[in-house]
Amino acid sequence: MDEREFREVLKGAVAGIHEDLEELLRMYMPMINKYSMRNGQLDEDLRQYIMIHVALNISKFGI
Amino acid sequence: MNHRQDSARDELRARFTKWLDTLVYRAKLNYLYKTRKKVETVPIEEVEEDCLSCPGFEDECIRGLSGTDEIWFEEEELGKAFKVLSPARQQILLMLFVEEKKPCEIARELNCSVQHVYNQRSLALKKLRQALGKGGESLG
Repeated sequence: MDEREFREVLKGAVAGIHEDLEELLRMYMPMINKYSMRNGQLDEDLRQYIMIHVALNISKFGI
Repeated sequence: MNHRQDSARDELRARFTKWLDTLVYRAKLNYLYKTRKKVETVPIEEVEEDCLSCPGFEDECIRGLSGTDEIWFEEEELGKAFKVLSPARQQILLMLFVEEKKPCEIARELNCSVQHVYNQRSLALKKLRQALGKGGESLG
């Protein structure tokens, strides 16, 4: 994904477009997985909590 | 010019990545805080006095210190070696290591000098070490 596409996806996610948010989450899944590790294992509940948190707060990001 | 625009867009991605990193980190902290194990506690005022004391424990201690009954030693050899010591030295060792009294307190109670307590302690420990070194044989 080039920079222009990224900007469009980010704009869409901030505006509340589900597909763009999904795309963004997929793009940043390695980071989310990294923070979802507890005691060396992936915590599914924590990952879900983080994704919900991102979805609820993405609109606060100023482009 | 085109290069400048690219760098501006890169800046957006970098800024968002940083923002998301902080957001996710805080979300994790929040989650861990919410799911932390809560240890149920009871205020000390609400605990009945009987629950705080261990029945018979004090009696055991007093009996042990009084010298009338045998003191229980974790190591049998040490117990045997201890019995061989003179009663005065036994008493000083008990006061020092079981009752955890200071040499000056012991000297006051036994009406002797503090130096005497130190001397008796070192002699008693020496005897114990000798006895244990011989494999717990009697000192004779």
